[in-house]
Amino acid sequence: MAEKEVPLTAVKVEALVVMKIIKHGSQSFPTTATGSIVGMDVNGTLEITNSFPFPVVEMPAESHFDNAAPNPAAAAPRAKANAVYQAEMVRMLREVNVDANNVGWYTSANMGNFVNMNVIENQFFYQKEMNERTVALVHDVSRSAQGSLSLRAFRLSPKFMTAFKENKFTSEELQKSNLRYQDIFVELPVEIHNSHLITSFIHQLQSPIQSAPTELPTSLSALESGPFAKSSVLAPNFDNLSLSIDPFLEKNCDLLLDSIEVHHTETNNFQYYQRSLAREQAKITAWQNKRKTENANRATLKQPLLPEDEWQRLFKLPQEPSRLDSMLNSRQVEQYARQVDSFVASTTGKMFAVKGNLLPGETAK
Amino acid sequence: MADTDSFVHLARPLGPVAVGSAPTTAPVNVVIQPQALFSILDHSLRRNADQERVIGTLLGTRSEDGTEVEIRSTFAVGHTETTDQVEVDMEYQKQMLALHLKANPREVLVGWYATSSELNTFSALIQNFYSGQGDGTWPHPAVHLTVSTEAGKDIETRAYISAPVGVTAERAADSAAFIPVPYEIRYGEAEKSGLESIAAARDAEERSANIFTDIEALERAIEEVLGMIDRVSRYVESVIDEEAPASTALGQYLLNTLALAPKVEPADIERDFNNHIQDVLVVSYLANTIRTQMELSNRLATAQLTLGGEGSGESGAQRGGQRGGKGGRGGQQRNQERGGEEARA
Repeated sequence: MAEKEVPLTAVKVEALVVMKIIKHGSQSFPTTATGSIVGMDVNGTLEITNSFPFPVVEMPAESHFDNAAPNPAAAAPRAKANAVYQAEMVRMLREVNVDANNVGWYTSANMGNFVNMNVIENQFFYQKEMNERTVALVHDVSRSAQGSLSLRAFRLSPKFMTAFKENKFTSEELQKSNLRYQDIFVELPVEIHNSHLITSFIHQLQSPIQSAPTELPTSLSALESGPFAKSSVLAPNFDNLSLSIDPFLEKNCDLLLDSIEVHHTETNNFQYYQRSLAREQAKITAWQNKRKTENANRATLKQPLLPEDEWQRLFKLPQEPSRLDSMLNSRQVEQYARQVDSFVASTTGKMFAVKGNLLPGETAK
Repeated sequence: MADTDSFVHLARPLGPVAVGSAPTTAPVNVVIQPQALFSILDHSLRRNADQERVIGTLLGTRSEDGTEVEIRSTFAVGHTETTDQVEVDMEYQKQMLALHLKANPREVLVGWYATSSELNTFSALIQNFYSGQGDGTWPHPAVHLTVSTEAGKDIETRAYISAPVGVTAERAADSAAFIPVPYEIRYGEAEKSGLESIAAARDAEERSANIFTDIEALERAIEEVLGMIDRVSRYVESVIDEEAPASTALGQYLLNTLALAPKVEPADIERDFNNHIQDVLVVSYLANTIRTQMELSNRLATAQLTLGGEGSGESGAQRGGQRGGKGGRGGQQRNQERGGEEARA
């Protein structure tokens, strides 16, 4: 990591970008939507001022890639065709005075399921190939629909970058580098920033009519169809107060179960590796012993000795499976757990409030 | 704002244009999505210092019968304007349109925007270009959106379609009758949370806001509701004290709202409450347990074996056994991994 400049500490997102990402994400929901973000880096704060979506390219189906559902959009940011598209788009944007520096990419997620190889590889590609100071913005469509916007910015930690570059994810390397799943991502705080015009516009949207005191409505229907009943008040959003908790919990449980499954597969892989390793080693020892006795025989018979290190050619030790997948899985589970925690925190509050209101006697006590 | 204006559509004779080539002038309803407006405003901020107004292309979708146009996104187009001529970067517009359509195949060209409320000859020229055959929106009318961005005044948005006017064909090329059409700003469920966060920054001096956590958002919502209840009860009190004029309609409305509170047995509430709170807490507990188990398992798998020999194997097995009661499989597999590590060592 080139440390001559101030490291990135925060991300400032323009309202325009927020809206564009939300639009793109919700349009293509539930498939993943990806796009590029442009902006400027001001003293460690990355200001993101514009964005554009990536075209979904049809990638040739890779036959050995059948366990993961092929998702062209998820891989789009590092696809070759898109690098061209992106360069072209940035060039076009420069002509109309947009900050034309590529500062990263965005992706949409569903219930925080964004920790996967695609995201890692994309961000790795960006931090390595394009520009070191890039971020991945993750917009969680499902969680935003629940009331509060979920937009987060991530970077790969320098430690993880070096490890990933050399693909060092064996047990020994991990012991040496002490890389843990918490160290994969560095999250940057996200701030939303409005331009003056947008501030003014939002103020106007909020109060459609307020100059003159309005007359009292004449009838119930007049009130219901009047300008205030359907007023486009922006805040707050009462989706937050919804008490439907079961769908969310169900979904999270499903996701957690999937993660356990993945974890189990990973451990099974590892066990298999260790069994075959032990078997190979047993074979090698047997061979070495045999060669030793043979050599001892030959020594007594005064014959030339046979080389004792031939086993390196004869036997091949199995490759240790990469620990990366299980690391990612742990990170993903952590993400789910945090998500559940924050959900539970607000839900218990709501539930106690409802209970207190419906059973007035309880609160009086 | 113009959304309170009313519109009358009159049929009128069309100009001297060859039959069949005239765009329809049937009334259209324009729906604007907020991100389109935001990007127009952004473009207006990024105009060159000497430019009065900037223009750009509107993209979106058109309903089957062509009566509703939804503006979804926009891009800026460079242009230069002097007192007697206007130059629009057509090449740029074409390339950008192609690029944009690649990523959004479902959107089509629907019109153009300008960041001043003024309609002049140049507007007519550009309008005729956008609504023309070939690269334009023909046979549908092109929508022209003006968003005034003058400092110190309200942002005024107006939507127009045009009809050809002019006595001769030459005159018709650089003139157009702009017909105002109604529009509305519409945002979907998904955008609500985004707009809310953006609106949270509206009163801040530095015009920025952090993203809320779930709890903070809940707090805000509850505060807002409490504020509303306060307002209503203040009004009701002042009516009771005969300080404010009473309204039957309002009273009826409030009564209807109050009637929405469900009438349920306390025992039912108690039961439902307990069931749900247990669900919630169990899921939370399980999620965190799973997290811990996985971390433990991964740590042990990559942990350095410092003790070595038989002793560590036994203690590992015992530890696994003790924890096995809690997370059966987790403990078991750790044992096996332990075993594996030793086999290798």
